[in-house]
Amino acid sequence: MALSFYPGCSLEGMANDYARSITAVFEDLGIDLVEIDDWSCCGSTAAHSLDETMSVALPARNLAAAGEMGLDIVSPCAMCFNRLRYAQLMLKRRSFDIPWQVDTDFAVHDMTRFLAAPDMLAQIRKRVVRPLANLKTVCYYGCQMVRPPSITGYTDFENPQTLDAIMDAVGAQVKDWSYKSTCCGASIGIGRREIRDTLTNRILDKAAHTGAEAIVVSCPLCQANLDTVPRRPGAGRLPVFYFTELMRLAFRPAAEAGWFRAHLTNPLPLLNTKGLVAA
Amino acid sequence: MADTQPSGPNPAVADQFAGRRLIERGHSRFLEHTQNATGIDIGACYQCERCTNACPVARYMDIKPHQVIRYTQLGWREALMHSTTIWVCLSCEMCTTYCPNAVDVAGLINHLRNTAARLPIRPAEKELAQFHQIFLEELRRFGRVNELWLMATFNRRPAILKKKLKDGSLKEDLSLGFNLWRRGRLKLLPHRSRGIGEIRKLYRHRRGESD
Repeated sequence: MALSFYPGCSLEGMANDYARSITAVFEDLGIDLVEIDDWSCCGSTAAHSLDETMSVALPARNLAAAGEMGLDIVSPCAMCFNRLRYAQLMLKRRSFDIPWQVDTDFAVHDMTRFLAAPDMLAQIRKRVVRPLANLKTVCYYGCQMVRPPSITGYTDFENPQTLDAIMDAVGAQVKDWSYKSTCCGASIGIGRREIRDTLTNRILDKAAHTGAEAIVVSCPLCQANLDTVPRRPGAGRLPVFYFTELMRLAFRPAAEAGWFRAHLTNPLPLLNTKGLVAA
Repeated sequence: MADTQPSGPNPAVADQFAGRRLIERGHSRFLEHTQNATGIDIGACYQCERCTNACPVARYMDIKPHQVIRYTQLGWREALMHSTTIWVCLSCEMCTTYCPNAVDVAGLINHLRNTAARLPIRPAEKELAQFHQIFLEELRRFGRVNELWLMATFNRRPAILKKKLKDGSLKEDLSLGFNLWRRGRLKLLPHRSRGIGEIRKLYRHRRGESD
């Protein structure tokens, strides 16, 4: 099986740990990820905030390139996924003055939903060598992957299950909580830092209340936010994992996973006490 | 981190519109224009305030999401253009998702933000508007956006640099940046897309320039 892969700008920088773990996991699953040739930025929040036409035109360049490959797109980043889906829908509805011929007859998947399909979950279960038993997690989805449902296609947008199902498949304990898709405020984090800090701290507090030991995410901006936000004095932090990092840990317990060093909140002490990495 | 106080109503907006009664009409065609441009049925709103209750940042807005709808119906265009609301909105889509009448509130706020960005007015949240602009400029330079270069360009703006030096947040930025670099999370050199010519052409079209 092959998919066209749209990594997005974050995976080249802040989220290169995510990128490396994705490559490893898809290799283990025997799925080819073919990077879209010379992909460019989707425009993110900035493009649609200032100019809606640009927010269709910028993703369209990538959709056109993917269309030539004739493969479905899988996107690891919630924001890219949302913008690609939005642009695809808009291009279906009406014509835009853009220099690319876009064939929109393929699916844009977010990576979690692709991997949470029943047959993929069965594949994942088969490859688990050491289940992450005793690791208590909460899954955090953020907003762009699930909302608005008319774009993302999520029907369970109030209580999404894709990450939960994947974490369950690799044997981790998954806690239920009410803040799965509450916004972390990343989109205004640079201009109005104090608002971002308030929103993100609340999510970290609620995650801690559930008794979870780690937060599992799929969005690079959520990860960066939850991992680096200044905490109130005395408030603890939880390690924030990309779901693919934990999948790989269950698939190849002995493999060197250098990406854990990229985290600001060091996850190694936790993994150590759970006996999931060598001391 | 202390919980920050809500910024409250923008005094300029509050003064200008204090005592204004709901029967006062603004731009008579504003509602019609907005509905035509967006395809959103703004008349469907019955002010249940579910959007505002769902909004994670309503307390930081001077015009709350349900009021944005009402103001649009009344044609109060200037108040909306000068509001903090259009910039503080996170585009998290909670309002749109929970509207019982399927009014695309986030879509409307985004449309108003687009409109304000094209007008020669000083945005009520200057740094938020500037960040979006700088993001698009970086995209035009390289085709992809490098986080380190984006932040460097943003922090180099004189007004931002001055403010960040004063409140100490530049020091925080640098120490976070150093920490991230040590952990290999910063890409030092930006990648330039081969298709940069095509991308820049989009920008020229956007400004109405010819090739």
